[in-house]
Parts: sequence; C-alpha cells; structure tokens
Amino acid sequence: MSGRSPSSSATFPAPPPPSAATFDPAFVPDATVVVQQASVWFGHKVALTELSCSFGPGVTGLLGPNGAGKTTLMRAIVGLLPLNDGQIHVLGHDPHRERDVQQSIALVPEDEAVPPALTARQLVRYTAALHRVSDRSLPDRCLATVGLLEVADRRVGKFSKGMRQRAKVASALVTDPRVLVLDEPLNGADPVQRVALIELFHALGDQGRTVIVSSHVLHEVERLASRQIVVIRGRLAAAGEHHAIRDGLADRPRSVLLRSPQARELAARLVGLEVVRGVTVDGQTVVVTSARAGELAELLPRVARDARARLLEVRPLDDSLESVFRELLR
Amino acid sequence: MTVTPPPPPAAPAPPPGPSPAAVPPHGGRGLPSPFVAVVGYTLRACLPAKRWWGVLLPCLGAVLFGWLATVANASTQRAFAFVAEQGLFGLVLPLTCLVIGDAVLGADVRAGTFAFTWLSPVRFPTIVVGRWLGGWLVALVTLVPALVIATLIAGIPEGAGAMAVAAASGSAAYIGVFVMLGVMARRSAVWALAVVFLGERLLGAALSGIAQISPMWETQQVYAGLVDDAAGWRLLRDGTPNGWGAVVRLVTILVVTLAIASWRLAHLSPTAGDE
Repeated sequence: MSGRSPSSSATFPAPPPPSAATFDPAFVPDATVVVQQASVWFGHKVALTELSCSFGPGVTGLLGPNGAGKTTLMRAIVGLLPLNDGQIHVLGHDPHRERDVQQSIALVPEDEAVPPALTARQLVRYTAALHRVSDRSLPDRCLATVGLLEVADRRVGKFSKGMRQRAKVASALVTDPRVLVLDEPLNGADPVQRVALIELFHALGDQGRTVIVSSHVLHEVERLASRQIVVIRGRLAAAGEHHAIRDGLADRPRSVLLRSPQARELAARLVGLEVVRGVTVDGQTVVVTSARAGELAELLPRVARDARARLLEVRPLDDSLESVFRELLR
Repeated sequence: MTVTPPPPPAAPAPPPGPSPAAVPPHGGRGLPSPFVAVVGYTLRACLPAKRWWGVLLPCLGAVLFGWLATVANASTQRAFAFVAEQGLFGLVLPLTCLVIGDAVLGADVRAGTFAFTWLSPVRFPTIVVGRWLGGWLVALVTLVPALVIATLIAGIPEGAGAMAVAAASGSAAYIGVFVMLGVMARRSAVWALAVVFLGERLLGAALSGIAQISPMWETQQVYAGLVDDAAGWRLLRDGTPNGWGAVVRLVTILVVTLAIASWRLAHLSPTAGDE
C-alpha cells in the first residue's frame, strides 16, 4: 500500500474522540498509533491540550511552528513522556508503561544528545543488542544505508550535526521498527543526504511501517509526506493532505502572482472586481489578493481578454505549508 | 478501540547505500545479550576522561593515606586505624563511589543520552543492575586495589584481605546508593555529598541506627570484624554488625537501593520535556 495519501480532506478545530464510524482526516482507518485527548503540561506551561489524532502505515508529517508541541507529542508517542491526561496507544499498547512494545518503536530525537564516547558502530550495535537483533551484519548495513559505514569507527561526539542525525537514524533502523518517529531528521544534512534520507523514509513507509516525521524545512515535509498533522500551540490545528488543508482555508485571503507585459491595464481591471481584496503592481508583476480564489480563477481569463493583456504566468503565492501555518496562526 | 497492526516489515534497511550483501559484518562476534550490552555501554560511554580522573585521584589519595600511616607518631596499627577511619572509609571510598555511581546512570539521564537505553524492551531492573555492575567493575580495578595497596604500604599485610573484602562490598553498596540518588534527584551530586557528610559522618557518628544503614560505617565494620585483634584498633562499633555480618548488611543495602532505582526508572521521563 502507499501510505502517502491516506486522506484527501482536512479538518481545523480540535476533533472529537475517534470512533470507528468517524471519517475524520485526523484519523486513519488502519491506525498503528492512536492519540486520544492527549494533554501534557510542565508546571504552568501547557505543551499539549486534548490532542486527538492517529497515524497509520506510510509517512505522515508532523508540522507546526517552534514550541507548538511537536517534540512533546513525539516523545509521548514513543513513551518517553507520560501524559498528564488522555491516552496514547502504539500497536494497541501503552508505550510508557508496557516495555514490550518498545521492541517495535524507534525514535530519532532532535536534540544532539548522543553518547559522545561511543563510535557510530558501537552506538548502533548497542541499540541492536538491546533489541536482541540476531543478524550481526545488520548494524553495518544500517550504517551503510545512511552513508556512515566509512566513518563507523569514529566517535559520534566528533561528528557534525548531520552525521549525528544519520547515526541516530541508523540506530533506529537497526531495531527494525514498525513505528518510526523522526524529530527533525534532516537537520544538518547536506542536500545529497537530504534526498537520500527522504527516499529512505518513503521506502520505509512503502514497506508498511508507520513513519512520523517532523521538520522545520516545510517544503521538504511536503515532499516527504502528503498527509500532515498540524499542531499549533499544543492543539490539533489541521490534518489531512496539505493541499486539502489549504483548500479548506479557501475563505481566507490567498495571493496569486500574475505576470504580464500589460500589468497596469490588468491591475486596473482587477481592482474593480468584487472578489479582489487588493492588487499590487511591480513592473510586469501583479499580485492579487482574494478571499474567493476559485471565483478569481474563473474570472481571470475574461479580465485578461478585456484588458488585452497577455498572461505569461499565473502562480499561487501561498500554497505552501508556510502559508498554511500563517493562516492557521491568525 | 481496535488497532490493526500493519503487515510485518519485510527488510529493515531499504534503498540508499550499498546492498546488504555488499557490506561484510564487522568483527567475528555476534551481538551480546542486552545485559552484557548495558554493562559494556557503562564501561565505554559513562566514564569519559574527566570521570576517570575523578576516580583515579582519590585512589592516589588512598595510597598517600597509607604512606601517612607509616610516618604518624603512633603504633602502626593504631595509626592505620585512624587513617582508615578518617581517610579511606570516610573520604576516599565515598568520593570515588560517588564519581562512579553518579556517572553510570544519573549523569546519563541528565545528559539526555539515557533515551537510547530507555527506548528498548529491556526491563528496568536489568538496566539498573547492568549499570551498577559496570560501575562496580570500575571500582574493583581501581578503588579496591588502591585500598589494599594503602594497607600494605601502611605495613599491615595481614589486613590486606580484610581490606579487599571491605572495599569490594562497601563500594558495591555505595555505588548502589549513588545509582539510586542519580535517578531520584536532579542535583544528585549535592544530595550524595549531603548523605555522606551530613547523614553518615555527622549523624552516623552519633546514632547507631543510621550507622547500621550507612555504607561508610558498615564498610569499616567489615574490615574491623575480619582483621585479627580488631578490638585493639578501636574500629569496632557497638550496636552494628561487623565482619561477614556487615557484608550481609551491605548486600542488603545494595539490593534495596537497586530496587528503588528500578522502580524510579519506571516513573522517569528520561528527556527534558519542553521544546
């Protein structure tokens, strides 16, 4: 199965608790990780508030601005953090209380904490031994997979940030996890390694593993996973495919870039339209802001014809996840 | 709620990188058991160079204490009894064990690297005992020989065996105590120093009830009970077991502290929570 398109719709407010009959894009039918009304707080600081969602086989992006609660959610999913309220089940088990389920879970943490005195090979072999891996060649194969075999006998304390991340990925892979949680795994990786890691995560998802990835590099998350869970201020802000999430925000202003040699004539016609909220002109470029982008798209050919303007380019400016964050934060 | 697990993954590591067959396994040995892996990790990862200095310097101090007994203006046995009480059992033993005991678990938790161990199906008692054993092995090759050498330098060859038993059993219990404190308190070194100097040295000197559960006093009683003519050295203390009885007491302390540490690990959040 392909885990990249489990849902095509989007949701915005915090969803109700899941049930088998609910077709909610925050939930997937074949869930391996189920988060129910999860709340976590540290003293007076609330990190997660009644967050409910689920993750299934394939790659799912976990998105949100800094401090949104992504790392807290990921740590709670693998059991490192106990919930103050709510429940998390991984493969039907509580990951914080039931040690056996750790056999099937792996985390690549974002922080740079690695045992600095260990070599990459020692680190991966240690993890393999803890998980009773019987194949003694597997640690080296995992190091080769992330491109660290050549430096496997160097101490991870001497590694660059990107190399450390890759060592942690190798350490996670060696456990053969069914649920793989990766917190900013592309941090510090060079472009070639980024591409390789993204391919790796896709392949892992295609194998039927549940891969949950967070990243600040949003265009890479769009490449990584079409299904996304957006967390803002500890709450579920949106879920679904990122295009669907964006479409769900159709009633909010969107900007479209037009390029035409007759930019001024085009802008003059556009200003008169009811669907247009604002127009800016800069040379051959016109940026139109509209709350009803669909209607604008239908009107645009006629307006261009009336203005005798030749359209060289029409491009939505804010179809990225950055713009989704911006909109959701309002 | 019904959770449907996915089909088991086929192969662990897919596309990029060389094919599995292209990578020969490193070394000729298989992977160790989880317990052995934990002990190995403790020895490799938990004691960096700074910690080794923290272990070796008190050991050097122990040897100097032994020499000090030879230059004191008293009989050899009386001088060594004083040096052993104040220097070896009262200072070198707890400080060395503090450095080791805190390193093997508490420091790992505080550094955030304990997550690599926590995120495994290994039971907490296995982890705790493995970490403790790794630390004790370090004590057995550093602290115990240092205390025995101090005894020999002081001119008490007949006390070397008793000192070896006392140092081995005392360090076992002490490291257990500091492993427990390492997972129970964020500022575990401060708590450990408070336990040693306020609890054991001050209160333990006055209250035999505290001395009975004090690794410092019980270690001293192991030595005093096992050497000949112990009473003449003024190391024996009324109201506390000595000799092998004190060894049993130290083992009891060890078991209790490791059990508490295991319980605590199950309720621990091994990483800082906020982003």
